[in-house]
Amino acid sequence: MGKLIRWIGRTMSPKSNRCSEEDHCLELARIMLDDESTPENDAYVLKHIDGCYRCFDNFNVEQAIREAVKHTGTNVEIPTEVVEEIREKINVD
Amino acid sequence: MKDEESIIPDKEKTLVFEQEFMPHLDALYNFAYKLTFNEDDAKDLLQDTSLKAYRFINSFEKGTNAKAWLFRILKNSFINDYRKKSKAPSMVDYQDVESYYNSDKGDSSREITIDLRAETVRDKLGDEITIALNSLDVDFRTVIILCDLEGFKYDEMAKILDIPIGTVRSRLHRARNMLKEKLAVYAAQMGYK
Repeated sequence: MGKLIRWIGRTMSPKSNRCSEEDHCLELARIMLDDESTPENDAYVLKHIDGCYRCFDNFNVEQAIREAVKHTGTNVEIPTEVVEEIREKINVD
Repeated sequence: MKDEESIIPDKEKTLVFEQEFMPHLDALYNFAYKLTFNEDDAKDLLQDTSLKAYRFINSFEKGTNAKAWLFRILKNSFINDYRKKSKAPSMVDYQDVESYYNSDKGDSSREITIDLRAETVRDKLGDEITIALNSLDVDFRTVIILCDLEGFKYDEMAKILDIPIGTVRSRLHRARNMLKEKLAVYAAQMGYK
């Protein structure tokens, strides 16, 4: 987690060199990571990050945040009595 | 004379409920909990959703996406019932937030109002990502939960949230920016910049 936080701090720092296509690339990269992209968009993102370290960094941070978010999915256990109450109410209805 | 709805035998309705809906109760309860941050409210929301789903079971087409259908009912119940009744302070209307951020006034460094109840689950849920995610306004939090935690596609999210796909995409993009900004603030506090 510390590594990710350091990484985010670096990519979000105003001191870092920004890329003129950064916002566009990031938007398309997110769509790509959501598996909702088109082959054309994918090709643009992959080609761009191949030559732009800033966007390459952004892409990897996006991936890392998603992974971290997935791991926050601490499941709250559903109380068994709630399930039973629902079954009971449905059978009564 | 019985209406068309009641022609479907209760036994069959119960069977459909058991087979199609019960497997998603756990995910529904977790979604409810992540919206309300409160076990009792999550329980009420789940029960309400389950009963509505049972009542309207005739409009559910067997074999279609039951999870998305149930999530839509739960989200609507949350908006229509729970959220209106909620006495929680600082609830932000999404349209206001969206208008604000779409306007020139939208400043990325501005802290949006935080649902204070998020603080109550901090200890329970743990790390910085969770804290940052839970501090997002519920509409932004919801799209990230639906996409990253529940794995819904954009078109499914559009149906669940009753908004166009384009809005799903832009809301998600904005939510991700907010999440990242919150983490960047944390990184700066930790001296990483």
